[in-house]
Amino acid sequence: MKLADFQSLFQQRVLAGSGEADKPLLKKLRPSPRGAAPETLLDVYQTGYRVRLADFVAQDHPGLRAILGDEAFDALVDDYIDQCPSHDPNARWFTTGLPDFMRENARWRDDAAAVSMALFERAMVDAFDTADETPLTVQALAGFAPDDWARLAFEFDPSLTLLELVAGTIEAYGAAISEEAPANVDKPAAGEHIEYAAVWRVDHESAYRQLEPDEYVALSEARAGHAFGDICQMTAFQQAGEIAPERLAQSLSSWFEDGMIIGVRVREDDQASNTPSSA
Amino acid sequence: MEKPAPLGYGLGLRPIYYEEILSSRPPIDWFEIISENYMLAGGRPLAMLERIRADYPIVMHGVSMSLASTDPLNFDYLRQLKALAERVEPAWVSDHVAWTGVHGVTLHDLLPIPYTRESLAHIVERIQRVQDFLKRRLVVENASTYVSFVDSEMSEHEFVREMAERADCLLLLDVNNVFVSSFNHGFDPVAFIDGVPAERVVQFHMAGHTDHETHRVDTHDQPVCDEVWALYEHARRRCGDVSAMIERDDNYPPLAELLDELQNMRDIDARISKERALSAA
Repeated sequence: MKLADFQSLFQQRVLAGSGEADKPLLKKLRPSPRGAAPETLLDVYQTGYRVRLADFVAQDHPGLRAILGDEAFDALVDDYIDQCPSHDPNARWFTTGLPDFMRENARWRDDAAAVSMALFERAMVDAFDTADETPLTVQALAGFAPDDWARLAFEFDPSLTLLELVAGTIEAYGAAISEEAPANVDKPAAGEHIEYAAVWRVDHESAYRQLEPDEYVALSEARAGHAFGDICQMTAFQQAGEIAPERLAQSLSSWFEDGMIIGVRVREDDQASNTPSSA
Repeated sequence: MEKPAPLGYGLGLRPIYYEEILSSRPPIDWFEIISENYMLAGGRPLAMLERIRADYPIVMHGVSMSLASTDPLNFDYLRQLKALAERVEPAWVSDHVAWTGVHGVTLHDLLPIPYTRESLAHIVERIQRVQDFLKRRLVVENASTYVSFVDSEMSEHEFVREMAERADCLLLLDVNNVFVSSFNHGFDPVAFIDGVPAERVVQFHMAGHTDHETHRVDTHDQPVCDEVWALYEHARRRCGDVSAMIERDDNYPPLAELLDELQNMRDIDARISKERALSAA
């Protein structure tokens, strides 16, 4: 048997388990001098593959396990491993596909609360190892003339992800990772209610906080490169009445304090692009 | 045979020990990293590595090169590995006599091959190409295996010897893997150690495994057992001054327990040196 044929057979045994298809492989095995059954020895590889991947998923998704419960979570992971063989040499990238799998799979796509938690936890994992940048403090604004403030645009840390989640996702996650985690974390009730979150990295650790709807809009627009003054003029802030500029200034201050901002520049009037360059 | 200078007694660098290493600067001569865990854009792993490598030599050990796979070499992976090596400046880069998947799939395991002429020619050619790409001599490790094949035309140590000589690569002798495979397949582990080209061995791995009575599995979650310590002594007598280290990947003990295992290596080596000095006198 050629090496390529042998490796195809062996891999099929690891992915699919024992069955008629691995009879040619079994014929190629030498008997164990210790009397171990060939199936038992091949199972070392099959079990190892599944356990390793399941461990990676479980490490990255404590909240999902908590709201689904062990049995449903294990069933989800089994489905995912069965249907989505790993393709990246680094197993860290295996877990990143879980939310997409859930959204596309008939068994899981209707569980909006579970999908919401999976998306949130993926953002936490992704934030952990994005490229390093140096956050600015609010003192960076001191270098700009007051006349320029309305035209200031900001660049954000590449780890920043903004999420629209099923209401209760963030609280459930907090309960799941708490040192005094309760035995059962209530699954958020999926419905009309949503909440907003920012996930990013600060001091080498993933961080998150819930955003009010107006801050979510402002942060989304600021990250898209829109100038501070333009965001103040947006409908969402006009609806807030006279406090809008003050509220936006508070948000801007918190983005600096949170370590989200890595660049500031004056946006030129003739710039139509919504992608700011570095400060 | 030109070999990198011995580094002494090392440890596999794992995140659970980062803080203790940085705060206590333990008496460890060098660290080995799992390359894939640092092939990242940024974040804490790379930041910790930068701080630790300021004080300790680093060796890069990969698990995904898939040298024996019949899939094409993964040059995306190799480019990332090369970039990491340029950043970390390791004493050497290693991987395994194994494959990890075909048809674009990766099984995250070190899978066995039949020791045939075809397999040998295949892995030799790939090691040479990797060495050309990385512009450094590769260090290749014997893996633990749980099945062996009727198609094999030579023993594992004959395969490893010819592979190393034809590819002109260096060797990482995993003493625990020799023991695990010898138990599972019924060969003499001493004959294995005597059969590999000692002049190409630059590193020893020592680790624990799990005993399932009819077979043993290389789990790295136990202390090194007595049989493996005995083999280590034999390997040390045969290969001389070779960098040696402890791998631990699960069931993590306090760092002090791993330091005790390193001390055990030092004690064995001191005894061998003393015996040699006495016999020379």
